Amino acid sequence: MNRQDLFELAGRNMRNARLRNALTTMGIAVGVASLVAMLSLGIGLQGFANHQLLKSGMFQTVFVTGKQDMRNMEQNADAKPEESPVLDDDARKKIAALPGVEEVAPEMRAMSEVEYGDKTNFTLLAGLPPSAREEDAVEKVDGRFFSSANADEVLVQRDFAKKLETNPESVLGKTLTVRYAERQSGESAGSFSIERKEKQFRVVGLLDDEPFGGMRMISRARVFLPTQTAEAMNLMQPADTQQLVRSAPGARTYSMLAVRMESAAYAEKVEESVKKMNYSAYSYLDATKSIRRFFAVLDMFLGIFGSLALAVASLAIVNTLVMAVLERRREIGIMKALGASDADVKKLFFAEAATMGLIGGTLGVALGWIIGRAINFGTNLYLHKMKMPAENLWTVPIWLVVGAVVFAVLVSVLAGIYPAARAARLDPVQALRYE
Amino acid sequence: MDEETGTVAVEVCSASRYYTMGEAIVRAVDDVSFTIGRGEFAALLGPSGSGKSTVLNLLAGLDRLSAGRILVAGRDLSTMDSEALARYRRLTVGMIFQSFNLVPTMTLADNIELPLRFAETPRSERRNRVLELLTNVGLAQRAGHKPTELSGGEQQRGAIARALANRPSVLLADEPTGNLDSRNGQEVMALLRELNEKMGVTVLMVTHDPALAARYARKSLHMADGKLVSTVEAMR
Repeated sequence: MNRQDLFELAGRNMRNARLRNALTTMGIAVGVASLVAMLSLGIGLQGFANHQLLKSGMFQTVFVTGKQDMRNMEQNADAKPEESPVLDDDARKKIAALPGVEEVAPEMRAMSEVEYGDKTNFTLLAGLPPSAREEDAVEKVDGRFFSSANADEVLVQRDFAKKLETNPESVLGKTLTVRYAERQSGESAGSFSIERKEKQFRVVGLLDDEPFGGMRMISRARVFLPTQTAEAMNLMQPADTQQLVRSAPGARTYSMLAVRMESAAYAEKVEESVKKMNYSAYSYLDATKSIRRFFAVLDMFLGIFGSLALAVASLAIVNTLVMAVLERRREIGIMKALGASDADVKKLFFAEAATMGLIGGTLGVALGWIIGRAINFGTNLYLHKMKMPAENLWTVPIWLVVGAVVFAVLVSVLAGIYPAARAARLDPVQALRYE
Repeated sequence: MDEETGTVAVEVCSASRYYTMGEAIVRAVDDVSFTIGRGEFAALLGPSGSGKSTVLNLLAGLDRLSAGRILVAGRDLSTMDSEALARYRRLTVGMIFQSFNLVPTMTLADNIELPLRFAETPRSERRNRVLELLTNVGLAQRAGHKPTELSGGEQQRGAIARALANRPSVLLADEPTGNLDSRNGQEVMALLRELNEKMGVTVLMVTHDPALAARYARKSLHMADGKLVSTVEAMR
């Protein structure tokens, strides 16, 4: 029997027991809906978390410090000076030459006094690398980003702008004066001097959120300037005194370098190379390993719970088809007498199971999608109430749609194995015996 | 497909069918041999339980021999696997039953189309073939009716049309008039005779009615207790 005839007969058989087949199909739909709902929640949450993390460019960035950095002094206190080189321009060049490295930017921070009109504020100044924009580290800029890597322009945090003007937007295009400490080479090898300087900047943009999702230290700053400009200004860094008490204070050193790579795939290798150069390296990839594992396990559990309903539905299929075999005993006998082979009979029941799976699966995906939308809507209503931005916690990727329908058909056909075998095994002589 | 050998349509050689019921062995058909010529109208007679229906089921390829051989159109049924046997039922034999056995949920036309579907006849041919078959049995106007909307005689004529859908060379009829009143029974028998004479279809009819056999069949095979007890050939 060819496929078209098979599905025609299957469809006819199903219409003859419409209510029963519709109920079973609805059972599959509910099962698939629960599976889709659970999995899309898992995928959505994972995507949400990933988005938050990726937004900060974290996975693409490795942070390099000297071993005797203040942050891990305790841990490496006994590191010998020769095993703990200073982070200088040489090191910066070497790191920049590593495969996959796109940009090496020093983390620049300095205390400064900002004069705007007749107002003077004391605040933290920080350098933002050009990549900050591509990385989406700066989520929302009113106005624009720096016009060039060494422009005399600044971005200011909206809260800070509110201190300057009642309408924060009006600071855009205005000029502010920054007073800062400039580090100058000392007269002798073991010294440097500091001088008070001032410089004027144009305000080009307002930042709503903290750059890098608030994950990096420079985020606490309120005024941002291009890293290259900051470097040219020779800003006195908090770590400079640390370098002074150690060796060669003449050369420029960095307290921390943010190494940005083409993709997160290089992170592990770069980290390894940097460690071989006797520096400390840290990336968030390590920290998020457990988070990613958590999501894998979460997805699995959500999938298992979602599948339970489908498992119940598959029992309903078995039941429906076994009933159909009993009911259609005589009809199966007739078909065999007319020349249907065992395989034809088997295929007919598989076709019925697959049809229920296909219809149920399709309805289920639609139902799951609607449930997802509803929950997403509810969540966002809550977020809105809490004055938080709306988030998409619910993702139904196309592979899930296709996969769920295919899975439903597969489960249904599996459920059809026993009834189909039973129908095929039916002895036509017994089935046709006149009652 | 139908490579008929000579003048013999059906050849049954020492055919036996045993059933085991608990410890006991029931010999439903016990060492039965006979032949039916091509185009012959034969009747298989006997009281109920004599094994005549079992012989018919064996010939229909619905049941399997315990011993012996059955050749239909020159082909040995005992060597066929279940797939080949299904093809044999589809193309070589047609079967009609006492209780008609039309599928109740299908229209008459759909019932007749069923064996054509199994034979994978192209759709375009099917429609014409169904109409032709219905016309042959005089039911062209009844194509869209469900079996319950037809009289017994109409149902049996429809069943005959269905049995002939794939142009089999042998028609097996199990008590075809058993559920019919005498007028409808006669109509059905007349149709069987017409098909036998005009189209050359070999007919083997199982009946318990010797008068019916005597009236229509050229050869009457009498069975009792699973054995063939006598063969009567009418000279006509």
